[in-house]
Amino acid sequence: MSALILISVLGVVVLYLGLLGNKRLLAPVGILGLIGALVLFYTGYHVEMPLFANMVRFDGFSIAFNSAMIVITVLLFVFGVDYYALMKEHVAEHYALMLFSLTGAFLLTAYTNLLVLFLGIEILSIPLYILAGGKKRSYRSGEASFKYFLLGSFATAFFLMGIALIYGVTASFDLGKVREYAELHAGQHSILFLLGSFFVAVGLSFKVAAAPFHFWGPDVYEGAPTLVTAFMATVVKTAAFAAFYRFVSMTGMPEALSRTLLVMTLVTLFIGNVVALRQSNFKRLMAYSSIAHTGFLLMALLSTSGLTAQMLFYYTFTYALATVGLFIVLTLAKRAANGNENIQIFRGLFRARPWLAIVTMLLLLSLAGIPLTAGFIAKYQVFLLAIQGGFLKTTAFAVVMALIGIYYYVLVIREAFTPAEEGIAIAVTPANWLVISLCGVAVVALGIWPAWLL
Amino acid sequence: MELLVLLLIPFLSATLLAVVRPTLAARGIALVSSLATLAVALWLWYRYRGEPVMAVDLDWVPAWGLRFVLGYDGTGLLMVILTAVLFPFIIAAGFKQNLKHPSLVNALLLYAQSFMLGVFTAQNAFLFYIFYELSLLPVFFLLLYWGGERRRAITVRFFIYTLLGGLALLFGIAYCVVQEPTHSADFSALAALHLPLDTQIWLFWALFLAFAIKLPIFPFHSWQPDTYTMAPLQGTMVLGGVMLKMGLYGTLKFVFPIVPEGTAHWREWVIWLSLIGAIYAAVIAFRQRDLKRLVAYSSLSHVGLLTAGLFAWNAYGVSGSLYQAFAHAVLVVSLFYIVGAMKDRVGSSEIAAMGGLKLRTPRLAALFLLVVLNAVALPLTQSFVGEWLMFNGLWQLNGWMAFAAVTTIVLGAIYMFYAYQRVMLGPDKWQLEVHDADGGDHLFLVPLIAVTLVLGLYPAPILDLVNGPVQQMLSTFTVLR
Repeated sequence: MSALILISVLGVVVLYLGLLGNKRLLAPVGILGLIGALVLFYTGYHVEMPLFANMVRFDGFSIAFNSAMIVITVLLFVFGVDYYALMKEHVAEHYALMLFSLTGAFLLTAYTNLLVLFLGIEILSIPLYILAGGKKRSYRSGEASFKYFLLGSFATAFFLMGIALIYGVTASFDLGKVREYAELHAGQHSILFLLGSFFVAVGLSFKVAAAPFHFWGPDVYEGAPTLVTAFMATVVKTAAFAAFYRFVSMTGMPEALSRTLLVMTLVTLFIGNVVALRQSNFKRLMAYSSIAHTGFLLMALLSTSGLTAQMLFYYTFTYALATVGLFIVLTLAKRAANGNENIQIFRGLFRARPWLAIVTMLLLLSLAGIPLTAGFIAKYQVFLLAIQGGFLKTTAFAVVMALIGIYYYVLVIREAFTPAEEGIAIAVTPANWLVISLCGVAVVALGIWPAWLL
Repeated sequence: MELLVLLLIPFLSATLLAVVRPTLAARGIALVSSLATLAVALWLWYRYRGEPVMAVDLDWVPAWGLRFVLGYDGTGLLMVILTAVLFPFIIAAGFKQNLKHPSLVNALLLYAQSFMLGVFTAQNAFLFYIFYELSLLPVFFLLLYWGGERRRAITVRFFIYTLLGGLALLFGIAYCVVQEPTHSADFSALAALHLPLDTQIWLFWALFLAFAIKLPIFPFHSWQPDTYTMAPLQGTMVLGGVMLKMGLYGTLKFVFPIVPEGTAHWREWVIWLSLIGAIYAAVIAFRQRDLKRLVAYSSLSHVGLLTAGLFAWNAYGVSGSLYQAFAHAVLVVSLFYIVGAMKDRVGSSEIAAMGGLKLRTPRLAALFLLVVLNAVALPLTQSFVGEWLMFNGLWQLNGWMAFAAVTTIVLGAIYMFYAYQRVMLGPDKWQLEVHDADGGDHLFLVPLIAVTLVLGLYPAPILDLVNGPVQQMLSTFTVLR
């Protein structure tokens, strides 16, 4: 609870700091507060005890995910110093909204009550609707915001309906009680319970951009400011998957839900990877890559073994590290190319900035799942889980999709390592350099010693 | 411990080259490093007593039961020696090439060497896979930066094609690891799995596809000629000399022990595919107008025979195949070196641009002839021993297979001599002002030819090396044969 309060108060503090007009203070204060929250988690305040009338519980699972999200947010804030340097007004609001969103994310990892799940989703999403429209005068940004809001509220409606149905059957919002009910009726669930689970799953699938609820993804990713896109692709996805896992393990995975998720996994893997082949805009490419990774994560979710939680954590965290690094590189390259987002802006990167190009390569290889990067371990473990869960053909399909995935990442690597006709001038601030290098090194280190994170 | 040193010498010197980037000393440093690796490899050979060695065994990911295990038996050691022997030559070939950024070229080559040594010494399927895929990366960049025409498209095709096999292999490994109770992925544990026959039948292809593409055997070969032709000389040497042996070694280490019954089921198919590929490649080689492409196809043809010999599953076939792997590596490196030397002199590797060169470069012509004699498996050369053994092995299995094998040998002699004739003999029609083989060329080719002749006369050292593991492996399959 203390960390939860700290982060929400921190958001308000940052908001007021904005009134002072001193932009330079914002990021350091935000980062200090986030580190404070991390410390609170690890010193054990309010850990493993029921909070708010037994509606929230910060257990080991939730603390692991929360810490990962805090680390990613810190990295994004460090990047924000440079990213918002040119922006004149409303900078504080951006930081504050991200912090509010993070508060929602904390609730999503720690809920023990379906109402809190709903609250968490809304606290997570509403700041995002605003953030997506962060570039006030940009047509694309406005479109992204509107689209996200409209489709998001649609998904929310489904979601609420689902919770209501589950309540109707079990007469409780409490996860423990619902689980008891599900165990009692395993194999012969009433149609209302199944429908309820299905609707909640739809709402969550929307948040993680799983097909067929992925249509907002590419447009919003492309239109939103890059920093916000990075936030959505990493923190939001991590939180949503944590929530998804809690929900799925609560229902005990009835056959019908499992089959629905299986179909969604297949469609998501297919759309994410195949459509990405045709993208030349790097932000859209990353959006489809994000959908593809959602597919792999869903596959891990399918096999409810004891290792799934660990695996989801490892996968989302390493994916987030690679994504943050890549979005920063994109921002830098985009500046050098006058706002162009085509993957060709990376051409000549190796000549101009060898270290940057090597890190970019490592991050892309991690997303592609090539050995010695964390992405490889993550994919391999997902395959193991899926085979263990008996999804042999799905795994074979996922392997083929992974190959397609490698293809489009390699195309970007090829651009970075092809000499350009004219040299590109990429300016890197020390803070950005540090974040990118940190992501690159972390991705390799976690690929060599995955035990650090497990 | 020596094994770790073996892997670290090339890795650390490559890192040194990549970071410091000396321009002048790069090739020298790389050469010294590769010679040091060779010394360690020979030391390992000297110490080897016929028993499998587990040199390094460290905890890796205790939660998954994964261990970092390096070791070798006779076959692994043969591959290590092969890699260690060839790399000084591959690096030395760069002295005449004058590629841009020599420090990066050599760094990539040494990284490739380190990872391939890792492949040959890994005793854990997971570790094997990691090294197997990693070794692809340096080659990818080597081709992308220093390749010839159309390099961007061909490199990506090569990369994706190889990874297709790689991912199938990963799937196969994941399947086996799940079946295996301790989840350790150690080769010894996986070999003890007795999977049901219908599983083995499909699992065979999941495991073998990677190696079939890497080798490559027909019909998975379509990436090979373009890639070999387009690659820079040293890249081709790495691909043809060492990398393809990973396919052979992988088959021996992975496919045979884990899915013996699956192998027995598909064995004749694979042999016939390999032999068809070998004949097909030999016929195409005959029609080539480009010397480098011709050598690429000749390599394809030889590889078909190697695979057929391996799948013959008797002592003659398997030992012959392994022996020929060594011979083929030496042969490919010397042949590609000669192609490079001709290209330097004539300015193109088109055969039509050559002809009658013997009159101007008699020494080079003599060296070329000696290499060609090895290529056509003349008695007293190394290839003769290997091909004779494989021929015998196939004969024990099926007369028609042996007949097809002999056909490839005959066709090989035809296209090699025909190529030699078009390049070296005949009238001096272009009147090119070219210089003869110099000291460097001799220094490169004479040791390689010497190796061929010595091992051709006295093949025992290598055959003794592989005999133990091969006999042991075959004894476990007696029922299946």
